[in-house]
Amino acid sequence: MGRYVIKRLLHGLFSTVMVIFIVMILVYGLMDRMKIFKTDGQFTKQLNNQRVTYMHQKWEEYGYLDYLPYSDYLAMLQESGEIDEAARSALSSIGRSADGSDDSPEVAEYVAKFNDYCREEGYTVTRLDAIISKNRLATGGGQVLFAYKEKNVLSRLWKYFTGIFEIDNIHKVPEDQDIGERGLTFTLYDPVYGGEKFSPAIIGNGTIHRYLLYFDDQFPYIHQNFLNLHLGASYSVTRGVEVFNSMTQGQGSYRQFPLTYPTGLTENSADNLHTAVYVAGSREANVMYQQRYTDDYTNVQTFRNNKSRMGYSFVIGIISTLLVYILGLPIGVLMARYKEGLLDKFGTLYIMFISAVPSLAYIFIFKGIGRAMGLPWTFDMDAETRLMYVLPIVSLALPSIAGMMKWMRRYMIDQMNSDYVKFARAGGMSETEIFFKHVMKVAAIPIFQGIPGSLLFAMTGALITERVYLVPGAGGLLIDAINQYDNSVIVGVTLFYTVLSVLSLILGDVVMATVDPRISFTEKAR
Amino acid sequence: MEDFSRKYNLSDEELFSRINNDELASERITAPRYSYWKSVFRVFFRKKINVVVLVILAVLIAFAYLYPTVIGYDDQVNPYLYVNERGGQHLTPSAAIERYGFHIKWLFGAGGTGASTFDSVWNGSRISVSLAVICAAINMTIGILLGAIWGFSRKVDMIMNEVYNILGNIPGTLFTAVLVMVFSPSFWTLVFAMTIMGWLGMAYYIRTRVIIIRDHEYNLASRCLGTSIFKIALKNILPFMTSVIVLEIAAAIPGYISSEVFLSYIGLGMSEVSLGRLIYEAQNAMVTPGWGWEFWTPVAVASVITVVLYVTGQNLGDASDPRTHM
Repeated sequence: MGRYVIKRLLHGLFSTVMVIFIVMILVYGLMDRMKIFKTDGQFTKQLNNQRVTYMHQKWEEYGYLDYLPYSDYLAMLQESGEIDEAARSALSSIGRSADGSDDSPEVAEYVAKFNDYCREEGYTVTRLDAIISKNRLATGGGQVLFAYKEKNVLSRLWKYFTGIFEIDNIHKVPEDQDIGERGLTFTLYDPVYGGEKFSPAIIGNGTIHRYLLYFDDQFPYIHQNFLNLHLGASYSVTRGVEVFNSMTQGQGSYRQFPLTYPTGLTENSADNLHTAVYVAGSREANVMYQQRYTDDYTNVQTFRNNKSRMGYSFVIGIISTLLVYILGLPIGVLMARYKEGLLDKFGTLYIMFISAVPSLAYIFIFKGIGRAMGLPWTFDMDAETRLMYVLPIVSLALPSIAGMMKWMRRYMIDQMNSDYVKFARAGGMSETEIFFKHVMKVAAIPIFQGIPGSLLFAMTGALITERVYLVPGAGGLLIDAINQYDNSVIVGVTLFYTVLSVLSLILGDVVMATVDPRISFTEKAR
Repeated sequence: MEDFSRKYNLSDEELFSRINNDELASERITAPRYSYWKSVFRVFFRKKINVVVLVILAVLIAFAYLYPTVIGYDDQVNPYLYVNERGGQHLTPSAAIERYGFHIKWLFGAGGTGASTFDSVWNGSRISVSLAVICAAINMTIGILLGAIWGFSRKVDMIMNEVYNILGNIPGTLFTAVLVMVFSPSFWTLVFAMTIMGWLGMAYYIRTRVIIIRDHEYNLASRCLGTSIFKIALKNILPFMTSVIVLEIAAAIPGYISSEVFLSYIGLGMSEVSLGRLIYEAQNAMVTPGWGWEFWTPVAVASVITVVLYVTGQNLGDASDPRTHM
């Protein structure tokens, strides 16, 4: 079976790469790029040439292209020591005419160099005339010179997949930074807890994260930062936050408590010191950081009062999944046991209703009924009560229960006509005995296949349910990203969902093979 | 014999005549006349509920396809951009009838901009049902044809299995959503997004069915007797599949309506004012007292249409299974 699973995993990996490839082509290649400015308030304020540069800057931020203004090129030269500060500022004032006719000789020389450099590197150079209206420079009409290069799909794909896993080590902070002795220290007494409470931790210097391994009171209680996931950083949905983090970070209002910073300063704060990340030069630039930290590990996440997106989705998803198995299976079995009976008729009617009616329609119907019964019908993070979970859970469970009933009933009835049942009957076993001892065991096997999938997808949240009840869950992330054209989040979430779907298919088969001795994936047994 | 002759006053020759032994006739096997489609409809109409459902379906289709034409509904006018006179918005049926006098178009009140909900719901139904039918037609045609080839040819089976292993992993809703986002949403983009991958499931289903039936004895016999594969597919296998295909279509059409409603709801709907778009635009009206009509009408119409289509399809599927023709 091991070989079979590995083969399936490789298949799944290939599928995942293909899916990301297709989505990247779609999002970066085929989508109209102007769409990202549709909801951008800044865009309408930019005029003339300024708008052109603004567009290219944004496109670079959204990951469409590499953008290289002439000034950055000069700064690059200054860094390499070819020109000095004075020369750079002198050279940066290019002439107003795009054909270079009013450039000074020195500027013309460097503009030509810039052109050559860009040609070599595959950039396309754009130079625009200054826009003059009424003998004055128009707003945003200054002359511009820049170059851009479209990102190649394959290299984008390669970069993306090679960058997904990042292993933190003590050489991650650039070697030219002076941060004292690099290394990992193991302590039994975590300094975040004052250095007296027993709590093992591994602390790094030179790593990106300060704490590489630590314990705290939040699920899953033990945390590691050795291996980090980079599914893509958000641009517009949650600025600069990793897709995976924005799913797992807490939400809502800050949870403040007295906190002692490494400098000994104690104040009310929601900072989670365990999540400190290195930001070069941050302490020098910020007085607040100087008061709090003794080094440049200053970028921390915060404690929030509410669950993360995935947390909400998981609570709702897991309870409704349990309900589906607890209710759906027995009802399906009973429907098959008393076929054509009252329960069977009502059950069939219900299954038909769920299969036919659009999911949105019946969720609204459930919502309407729930409202009439006086249940809270929207989710409010600030005043969370247990009752708020009821309607989302019910709306998520009821349709799946119908599916479970349908399949269980069908499997049972299929089995009822098989030879072994006839044999058992001929042998004198009672119908109830046959039914619960033999038929149910066999009929339940295909049900096992779905268990890993339903558990894994409990995390991702239900798109419609969460939106209808305003649950701040993971399901909304993709929709938010789509509505705001947050390309890297779209790609990241797609990857996440595809991996989950691949895994749940494989795990489903493995589970089925484990519970059913007749199924074997080894070549010989076939 | 004597008795007969005396009773009817006829001679033996008149009473009896000799019949030649017809060898051809003795070879004929008598069986009750059987026509497949006649039996399908006989079984279908045997259930009275089916007649009722068909009548409802006919009325719905008439309203969706004829009513907008009859009243000259202009589907270029977006009812959510069209602003009527003041005070004419969010009307309950009774308020609307009081205001405008009785007319069938005010039967469901007026929407958020004062447009008749009745009119926009039927026009929306027309768009949604058309979309679903077109998508189903495309996916089923491609699915059945490809699935048949896939099931018959072992070479194609090998290649297609790999393709299926790869594409089958893609979460469908997500892919459709991304496609709709990339190409600005319109009727035909939605058709494209729903069909580019939609045929795969159907093709795989047909392939499995074909493989099961393909190697039955009667097909092996038929092939030994020299029947062409095309004829085997058409005459030996297709009749077995009619009922499953009808059942699949019955489940697919409501499914496409459902996806359209879903996509509209998450803001990726088409520019045409379909049922999904109507629900999306009116969702805030649900919780406002007195505005419920404009929200629940499209929800109810969408539910009724899908249920009726589903039931018709299911029962037609059952009726087209030859085993029910006894």
